[in-house]
Parts: sequence; structure tokens; C-alpha cells
Amino acid sequence: MEDLTLVLRRTAKEILEKGEAQMVIGWEKGAFWYSSTSAFISKPEDTERLIWDEYCVNNLAKYLLDYRHKEGKVAVFVKGCDSRALNVLLQDKQLKREKILIIGLACPGMKDEVEARKLGRGSSIPLYKKCRECRYPNALNYDFFIGEDKVIKEIPAQDDFSEVQALESLSPDEKYNKFVANYERCLRCYACRNICPACNCRECIFDRTASGWSSKANNVSENMFFALTRALHVAGRCVGCGECERACPVNIPIMLLNKKIIQDINALFGEYEAGTDVTAKLPLGGFEFTDPEEFM
Amino acid sequence: MSVNEVTWQPKILVFACNWCTYAGADLTGLSRLQYPATVRILRVPCSGRINPQFVLKAFQKGVDAVLVAGCHPGDCHYTTGNYFTRRRFLIMRRLMEYVGLEPERLQARWISAAEAPKFQQVITEISEQIRALGPNRKLRDEEWKI
Amino acid sequence: MLVAQKAKLREILNALSEEYQVAVPVQREGTSAFELYRDGIEVMFNGNTSISPKGMFFPQTEKMYGFKTVKNTTEFVSLPVEQGKRLLFGVRSCDMKSLDCLDQVFLTKGYIDEFYKQKRERTVIVALGCNEPGETCFCASLGLDPQKAAGADVHAYDLGEVIGFEAVTEAGQKVLDLLKNHLREQQFALPPVGEFYLKPEVAGVPEKLKGMFESPLWEEIARKCLNCGACTYVCPTCHCFDISQDVRGEKGIKYRCWDSCMFGEYTQMAGGHNPRPTKKERVRNRFMHKLNYFPERYNMLLCTGCGRCLDVCPVKMDITSIIQQIKEAK
Repeated sequence: MEDLTLVLRRTAKEILEKGEAQMVIGWEKGAFWYSSTSAFISKPEDTERLIWDEYCVNNLAKYLLDYRHKEGKVAVFVKGCDSRALNVLLQDKQLKREKILIIGLACPGMKDEVEARKLGRGSSIPLYKKCRECRYPNALNYDFFIGEDKVIKEIPAQDDFSEVQALESLSPDEKYNKFVANYERCLRCYACRNICPACNCRECIFDRTASGWSSKANNVSENMFFALTRALHVAGRCVGCGECERACPVNIPIMLLNKKIIQDINALFGEYEAGTDVTAKLPLGGFEFTDPEEFM
Repeated sequence: MSVNEVTWQPKILVFACNWCTYAGADLTGLSRLQYPATVRILRVPCSGRINPQFVLKAFQKGVDAVLVAGCHPGDCHYTTGNYFTRRRFLIMRRLMEYVGLEPERLQARWISAAEAPKFQQVITEISEQIRALGPNRKLRDEEWKI
Repeated sequence: MLVAQKAKLREILNALSEEYQVAVPVQREGTSAFELYRDGIEVMFNGNTSISPKGMFFPQTEKMYGFKTVKNTTEFVSLPVEQGKRLLFGVRSCDMKSLDCLDQVFLTKGYIDEFYKQKRERTVIVALGCNEPGETCFCASLGLDPQKAAGADVHAYDLGEVIGFEAVTEAGQKVLDLLKNHLREQQFALPPVGEFYLKPEVAGVPEKLKGMFESPLWEEIARKCLNCGACTYVCPTCHCFDISQDVRGEKGIKYRCWDSCMFGEYTQMAGGHNPRPTKKERVRNRFMHKLNYFPERYNMLLCTGCGRCLDVCPVKMDITSIIQQIKEAK
């Protein structure tokens, strides 16, 4: 990956020098050896800050929304999940394709920062669970691709819904208690929403407490209202990048809700993998006359 | 907002499409078909108008069950509104069940303007189911009583 | 120094529970926070809690009063207030300092917050010294002693197999008197404090920030921020709140809850104007408040070096590097 860092820097430098984009969004090193963070480079000489390592987990697609009304083009580096997220933003008509320059990467899977901190430098750090389960490590939609376009990660044959199914088999009260246990610790900091590429409403209902729909009070009922509303709102558009879970400061297994919906969409309306095809119709943005009928 | 076990009666919120179920409920009354007084009917322009948030909010504020009701597929006043409803609530019902709500507490039915007996039957059925289940405490916001 | 075997902590906490409502740091589901002590609960010793103890004094949601309409007027209904002595065990230096900050806000300059005051006054604090700083910690750079928390009633020290206790205040002495049968006198030297990884140099930063309101630095710093409230909610010193009400029929409850300057709604005015429309202004406000406005008003930083914001930030905004960037800015 170190060699790729150099290619990445060179590419970014060329883009800025040639004026193909006004800014490049990539990654740079954070405070610790196991932290890499988003970097916004607009001067060719600053491209030296860019890196590409096993900790570039941060999904960069969402940042493009900050620049959608700005003049000129923005270049962005994308892994597989970032690429799917970007596709969803394009499907949602949040971005104009011609205003972004996409540089694709092949992702080997990102290492778990929390484990890294625990285990220490030099030890073998496991990948994030979401990365182990990832089936699209390589960018899907790009203007050009960096590195060899080949599979460098073992790809599971299908999505893993075993945790969802384990929950499904419980009794209603058991399920509810588990759910309460998870969401009573929710701080409602909205990190999950703000990092989520599918959460791209210009104005979120949870930022409009005066409307009376949601309250700032933190209690289990309100927290679940938030969780369920968000899960249903990103239904069919969640790309499974798992950034919500990573962003959560209190470790709530948010993907348990999203995965359940993904599983049901697959079962009810046919296999659908959000963000893998920009031209696809959103599952909850349309219908088929032949959809299952349960409400007769 | 707390539940009094002794005087408790099921409280069922029906989201009824203006063009079918609402008229169907009207016809039920006109036809002198009796149904339990456990329902509150809330008229919406189309079942497609029913945002999942409406349902969640209802549970927060203390209803025991929600019925989403609209026109039969193919009969939508706006041609296709209820097809969207169908997809939306196929997903939502499963999600609510997944987080521990009893499936009886969130139901959806197609009831046309002519189907007064069906309206009567559905409401009676749900009322009995909820009576058997007892009051709903899940999702309920009980923080604010004084 | 009075000491007790660590294995005896359970007995000690049980004894204290007879006199106080005791709260201790506990690890749970990949996160950690202060929780009410119940017999047998395992107290967390390695590192600080991911959620600060500020909620013990300034809860995330706090009911203030009730009201109801009676004929043509409104009547206030006072709500039950929890009474009784409390004891917080295991507060670290940084969080003790944060209570100092909150005291300034809620108890000085002629503004007394009764809700805060009531909780503060009925709480005795047993601080626990840190020997090995966490990776995100930088309290020493802000002038704190990680082993001796200023303002605590009792200092407790983690001495490996044993815990040492030293009363600092009268209230603290009472706590140790209660534990007479559990403690014995023994000489112990405090272990040396480990090396800090982060060492921001904060000297001169508050003064320098005075002239930096319009600096282009803010735009650069803010680019990666997501404007979520994770940092402000885990921060032991952030104390902004919003007042709202829940009205049901003719009755209602007025409550306050944490708010975050990172949220767009925070400065939204009734007419729709927002003086902090983008993340640049919001991020600027957060750091100006911590490093300039607060020091100007209360003569102390609104940061205690606990490192929680570094730890939780999904995009790794790093206050130590921001301090560095402020220093380097022209």
C-alpha cells in the first residue's frame, strides 16, 4: 500500500496542477498510527500529506455534499463502499456526476482501530467486521483507477444475515428488551446520521424539534423513534458501509436494523444491492404490480 | 399517559384513505353495522400519505394498535399510491416485529368504499386481538406525567 | 496512607452504600459510564469512562417544573426532587477539573443554578489517580496532576494490589471514618506517572485566538467536521442546554436537555436567520469557547485534557492538533 500512496499523491498532484479539479478529498494520517482521517487538498504541494493505508476507513463520499453548490470540480478517492455511497448520492440526484472526478481504489479491507489501540503496534490487527463481510471492496464507478484492478481481498459469497436471524428467532419481549438495552444508551449525537451517505436530506426532521415530531429529550422512546425513523428512511439506500456503527460513540449495533431491512427487501422485492448500479430503481421508490400481497 | 389496568380499553388508530376506507367506515355506520368503539379514525388523502413516522408517533403517544387502510391494489384514486404503501408497510411491519412489537399491533388492510362488512369485521377482529394482548407499553413515551 | 486490598473494594462499596447512594465507573457493551453501584458490580479501573460523569450533576434531560391550566390561569406544579447523600467513586483528575469548570458556570458570577447546586452539594467525590495515561489523554499539558485531582474530597490511588486513600476535606474524612474497619495504615509511595503521548502546548493560545475570529484557519479545520454532537456530548465540560416542554392536554412539563453548538438548530432564530449557518462558524465557536471565551470570563480553559473528543470523533478531529495549528497560524 505504501507504493500506492506515492501513486495517489502523484495523481492528486497532477489533477490539481492541471486544474482538473479544485480540490482533492483523500486521507491523511491522524494523531495515532492507527488513525487515518479525511484530508482536503487544494494546493499541489500539500498532496504530500495524502496517504493510503489500512486505516483509511473514513467514507469520503458524504463530504461531496459540502461542495455541490461550489464552482468547479472536486476529485475524490473511493474504495468499494465509498463508491457505492457515491452511487446512492448520484441516484438520489444529490450530486452532478460531471462535477466530480472519481478516482477508484481496490480496498484490501480496513483494520479495526479499536482493536489496534487495544492490541498495540506490531501485533496482527483484525479487519473491521464490516470489511470482512464486504463483497464490493473495489470501486465500481470511477473516472480512473489506481493500482491493479484485481481482487486483493477474500470476498464472501453472500451477505451474512446470521445476526439478524438470531434476533428474529426471539420472542417479542426478548427482542424488545435487547432493542431497549441498545438504545437507552444512545446519546442522540446524530453521528450516525451525519456520517451516513444515505442521510442526505437538506433538512432533517431531527433538526426541526420545533415541529413537534421529535423532542430533544433523551429517553428510550425518543431514541427508538429516532432509530426506527432513520432505519426506515435509509431503507433501500443503505449501502452497508457500516460507518454509522463505527461513528457511534456508545457502540450501538445500528447495522442490525439496516441489515434486517436489506434482508427483507431482498426477500420481498428481489435481490437488491444499493449503490452497485447507478441506473437501478430504488426499491422503496417504486413498486411492482406483482409485489407480495399480505393486506387482503 | 400511564395505563390503568382496570379501566383499560384498546385504543386503535386507523389511518383511513379518504377515497375508500373512510367512505367504507361511513357506510358501515349508515348500514347500522356495529363495530367496537375502540377505534379512532384518522383520514388521510391516500394510504400512500402515511409516513412510518405517523405510526411510530402514535405508539409513542399511547395507542395500542395501528391499522393502515387503503384502496385495493388497482383502485387507487391516484392510480398507484397504494402500491407504494404496500412496499413501505411490508418492510415496516417486519421491522416493528423485529424490534419486539407484536405483529397484531401494526396491521394493514385494503378496504374499499363498498366493503362495510369487511370494515366491521376487521375492526372487530383487531379489537379482540388487542384485548387479548393487553395494553401496549412498547415505544410508549411515559416520561411526562405529572 | 490508609490502604485496603483491591479485592476488598466490594466490601468497602457495600459499606459506603449504607450511608450514600454510590456511583462507580462501569464497563458495559463496549462503552463505559458512571452507574449506580449495586452489590457485585465490577468497578472499572483501566482508564477513564467513555461517558463523563457530568450527567451526575447536569443530566442529559432534566425536568424542571410542571404546569397545568386551571380555569383561566396556569398553576405551577413542583416536581419531586431526589434527596440524600451521594458518593462518586473513581472520578479522574480531568473530570474533577471539569466540575470546577461547571461550578464556574452554574454557581458563580451571581448566577446560581439550583438544579446543579442541589446535586453538587449532596455529592462526595472520591477521586482515583491515574498512573498510566491513556493514548488520547493530555491533562498534564493543561497543568493537571493526573494522580491528585484538585477539588476531590478523598484521593484514592491505584497501587496495584491495594488502593490507597487520603482524605482531603472534612466530608472526605467522614467517608474514611466510615471505612475505619476496612482500612489499615501503611506507607506507600505513589508509582511514577507514565509518559503522555499527546503534549499540546497551550500557552499563549487563548490570547492569540483573540485576533483570530476571521482567520482562514477555521474553514480548513472545519472541512472534515460532520457537525454531529458526539464531541460535545462526551465532553465533561460542555454545558450548553436547551429548554423545552412536553404538553399533554392541559398539563405539561418544562425540561432542559443537553444541546450542542455543532447542531444547525442551536443558533437558529425564530425568524429563520441563523448566525452560524455553516460548519465553519460552528467549529470556530466550539474551539473559541473552549480556548478563548471561557478563559477570558473564568480564567481557565474549558478543556481538561480528558481526550474523549479525540476518542469518539468519527473523523478524528483532534483538539491537540488544532491547538498546534492555532499556534502556527500567521
